[in-house]
Amino acid sequence: MKIHNLSKEEVLKNLFTSENGLSEHDALSRLSEYGTNEIKETKKKPLYLKFLSQFTHFLALLLWFASALCFLSEYLHPGEGMLTLGIAIIVVIFINAIFSFIQEYKAEKALEALKKLLPFYVKVFREQREKEIYATDVVPGDIILLSEGDKVPADARLIESNDLKVNNASLTGESEPMLRSHEPFDGEFIRSPNIVFAGTSVTSGSGRAVVFATGMSTEFGRIAHLTSAVSSGLTPLQKEIIRTTRILATIAAAVGIFFFILGFLIGRDFWHNFIFAIGITVALIPEGLLPTMTLSLAMSSQRMAKRKALIKTLSSVETLGAVTVICTDKTGTLTQNKMTAVKIYFNKELVDVKDIKNGVADNLLKNAYLCNNSRFMEGQYKGDPTEIALLKLAKEKIGDLQAKRLKEFPFDPDRKRMTTVNFLEGKIKAFTKGATEGLLPLCNTFYFNGNKIPINESLKKSIIDACHIMMDKGLRVLAFAYKEIEETGDNALELKDIENNMTFAGLIGLEDPPRPEVADAIKKCKEAGIKIIMITGDSSRTAVAISREIGLIKGDPIIIEGYEFNRMSDKELIEKIRAEEIIFTRMTPKHKLRVVTLLKEEGEIVAVTGDGVNDAPALKKADIGLAMGISGTDVAKEASDIVLLDDNFATIVNAVEEGRTVFENIKKFITYIFASNIPEAVPYLAYILLKIPLPLTIIQILAVDLGTDMLPALALGAEKPSPYVMKQPPRRMKERLLDLPLILRSYLFLGPIEAAACMFGFFWVLYNGGWTWGIMLSPNNILYLQATTACLTAIIITQIGNVFACRSAKMSVFQIGFFSNRLIFAGIAVEILLQIFIVYHPIGNKVFATSPLDFKVWLTLIPFSIALLIADELRKFYVRKFN
Amino acid sequence: MYRKILAAVNEFTNSELAARYALTLSQSCDAKLFLIFVAEEGIEKNTFKRAESALERLFIDAESRGIEVKSITEKGEPYKNIYDIVRKEHIDLVFTATRREDVTKRFFIKTIARELILKMPCSVAMVRIVRMGRIHPTNILVPLRGMMKDIEERAFFVGKLASGFNSKVTIFHCPEPLTDFFHGRIYLNPAVREKHIPGDIETFTEYLNKYVIINEKRTSYGTISKAITIEAAHKRNDLIIMGASERSLLKSIISGNPVEEVLKETPCDLIILKSKK
Repeated sequence: MKIHNLSKEEVLKNLFTSENGLSEHDALSRLSEYGTNEIKETKKKPLYLKFLSQFTHFLALLLWFASALCFLSEYLHPGEGMLTLGIAIIVVIFINAIFSFIQEYKAEKALEALKKLLPFYVKVFREQREKEIYATDVVPGDIILLSEGDKVPADARLIESNDLKVNNASLTGESEPMLRSHEPFDGEFIRSPNIVFAGTSVTSGSGRAVVFATGMSTEFGRIAHLTSAVSSGLTPLQKEIIRTTRILATIAAAVGIFFFILGFLIGRDFWHNFIFAIGITVALIPEGLLPTMTLSLAMSSQRMAKRKALIKTLSSVETLGAVTVICTDKTGTLTQNKMTAVKIYFNKELVDVKDIKNGVADNLLKNAYLCNNSRFMEGQYKGDPTEIALLKLAKEKIGDLQAKRLKEFPFDPDRKRMTTVNFLEGKIKAFTKGATEGLLPLCNTFYFNGNKIPINESLKKSIIDACHIMMDKGLRVLAFAYKEIEETGDNALELKDIENNMTFAGLIGLEDPPRPEVADAIKKCKEAGIKIIMITGDSSRTAVAISREIGLIKGDPIIIEGYEFNRMSDKELIEKIRAEEIIFTRMTPKHKLRVVTLLKEEGEIVAVTGDGVNDAPALKKADIGLAMGISGTDVAKEASDIVLLDDNFATIVNAVEEGRTVFENIKKFITYIFASNIPEAVPYLAYILLKIPLPLTIIQILAVDLGTDMLPALALGAEKPSPYVMKQPPRRMKERLLDLPLILRSYLFLGPIEAAACMFGFFWVLYNGGWTWGIMLSPNNILYLQATTACLTAIIITQIGNVFACRSAKMSVFQIGFFSNRLIFAGIAVEILLQIFIVYHPIGNKVFATSPLDFKVWLTLIPFSIALLIADELRKFYVRKFN
Repeated sequence: MYRKILAAVNEFTNSELAARYALTLSQSCDAKLFLIFVAEEGIEKNTFKRAESALERLFIDAESRGIEVKSITEKGEPYKNIYDIVRKEHIDLVFTATRREDVTKRFFIKTIARELILKMPCSVAMVRIVRMGRIHPTNILVPLRGMMKDIEERAFFVGKLASGFNSKVTIFHCPEPLTDFFHGRIYLNPAVREKHIPGDIETFTEYLNKYVIINEKRTSYGTISKAITIEAAHKRNDLIIMGASERSLLKSIISGNPVEEVLKETPCDLIILKSKK
């Protein structure tokens, strides 16, 4: 027994209240028992803790340790520059933390949007009189007074109603106002007409209701619970970043410790070993990777915005590229949501609307006109698109009708029909419209050429056939019936007395044409190996017909209707979901969360579209929640990762293409950045193994990683999509950002060429300056400073060749267009300017321990850059040839 | 198992609603029901009257359902008086309600509910009522972990209460995700998770089957308390029945306490059962 099953007296008794309302004392006591009537966020990790956690992960801890060692060294051996290094490492930690935080940060405002749907003040009946109180002070047992325009503050059971209609769109997505009644109801709680829900609004009439649930205990609170508590987890990119940085940090630390021990074993002193260990660790950690990645994602999100997809969380840019399943609504996303009546079935004939002459199908059209809640006001049609299409058709064919509506039995998804009772032409007539399968069994006669004829099996079959013909053309079909009622006083009219022995008036088929660009977008998705699942409230036949028209299905799809869905266990559903082609029909938004959850548990990367308040939990749960920018509610937009500014399915596909490109581009700049780690590490190996002066200082490594490399790497992040990006299946979750081919190419191919250049530059300057093997130079020696500067300059120059090489892993830079990415040239220009500053400006010299170089040193190093590019072009040629 | 059940009632509506669970359980296991109201010194007349009325309503209801019932009104300290009655009458189970105000206090410090749950010499069911509308739970969520010390009593409590309300039971298990140094958290899919359901849960299911209760098993992942509240909100459960936390105060402070967290965030009524064992 639940609250909607009880009589008014039982309701009041169970809620320990009376029609006179609560006393103020009781209300206060209940406030302490049940809390305030507010939508509250479930406890979450505070923002500052999220930010602080960026300083405590493995890589950060390693860097903290390194900087602590630097400070210790400065204390023990002052004046060796370890203080600057310690500070520089801390700066690196902060830069990385800020950029990681920016990537993960997402303003959580979904609940703010939900809160706005609740009223501020509310009228209640307390201590036998009407009072206006804050909505937050409403408690269970309060009697609330509702009238037109009010927002409902809490879940309440009606005890009195006068033509009360509420709009439940915020909860159920159904935009039609629903007539409420205070009578006990035996059906499902959520469908009960004697319940008004928090967050909904009164569109007309008035009523009194007893509150039985407040705040987070309401149905609205349930959505808030799911919206704030459901988490989609880390994005694939975030997981990859964690994995990559952990691997790199482990390698860096292991190499540092290994060579520290090796140096100790071969007899080098502690101090030199220590500098080496820190140096090799810093060299192997790509400090600029996270800032570059974040900036690159930000640039991609800008590009996506130009293609009508507004990105809310940076890392979701890449997630979109990994999507394996898109769950999409039909109406408005795949179709235009412009309903037009195109076919009519009456007098046993199925005809096109345009062929109907005025005065021919009047009976059916009157039905469509009067069983309708849309309105023509101030030159505009207002209401649900389906009803507008029906009203438009009726108005065009039969003009305006004058009738008084006596009663309405609103549309109910369980009954799948609505009925109005009208006083028309001196008679009381009931008009019903709804799904054919539900309405036809209620009729015993058929309107044929002005007469009522009995419905026999063959007539029934011809009606159903006509319905199927229309549905198979992708039309939404509505059946119409009517009945004359003897006057007994409207209050005595009950649904069970009306909806029987009716006369079947006919069928109307409505067309919602697909968006013109959708068929191509679906084709693209299929080529890209992405499965599309349609979730619609429409009938199966209509959904299948539209799906065939737009190329969504080719064979016999699995179709799951809402009622089956509710009955199926998770196991059964998972089995079905694995099918290649699947459509969910007669569904409501509340079902989406379950579909998304099951798909995710199957290891799919799921994108889901949504617009209503009750779509919010599914949007949050999916890897990518896509809210509709035009038709979407604020709650849906706030809960989503991406807002589609044009509500168009094709925009999703464009965004997927951009997302895939992002992953490819990230790999490109990782190759670029990693290649420079080898010329940064080799000088340290030479230093410890060959007993030569240190060719590259740690500060100079940081100048490359956090300075000169950044802009060219960013330019790689802006590379255009390659022609084959949407011709391959979604990236497998096992596919790594840091895979073996990438490591081999960076560390064993590109890196060694750069290392050769930098060691050549170093020795070339030393030998030209008169240095001989075995002489150790002091850190302030001009020749030594020039030699390290040459080593650094060699890295910068070879990185210029490298940036062109990294524009594609397989294609020649001349195939993709040498000048097609102008940002590359801008990046190189800035890189050279920075290096000029480091080499020739006194401040640059001081900070980076450099000394001005002769121009011919630059010229000597340029061939290495060209050689690198040629070598990689040859490699690509063989890769293309053998693949 | 439960021959004598006691329900503590006071002037608050939630204590009366909590006592209704005691009523159903008493009826279901044919136990004698003790309804007790302890009026503290200096109690207001109105407050006293409200509690007395609640006691009277419950008494009438219990009698009409054929439950052997005894109603007690005393003056004194609630905890002390209840403790004495529990000792004297050999009570097996005490029902107590907790309010929104109580759960805002960390670890319910300085609440009667805490005193009762920690110090009673019998089992205690602490009830949190969040919604007055759901009078008869139709779907009860029972989150379980492995290594339960009180499996028999827990199953008896759930079974008899479900049988009293004719409700279905969803057994819910949320294991800690596996972690890997390089990959971070690894979430298993439901099929794999089901293979790792602890044996205790199978035993629990067998008990429920013995009591002829319709039940199903579900698994999830993530933070335990969040997984429970999401499941209850998603599946519209009417009642959650959990075992009391076995975490020490120190561990609760450091790594949180799922039971306390569910108590604060529950979207439906919640009963926390602290078994005598």
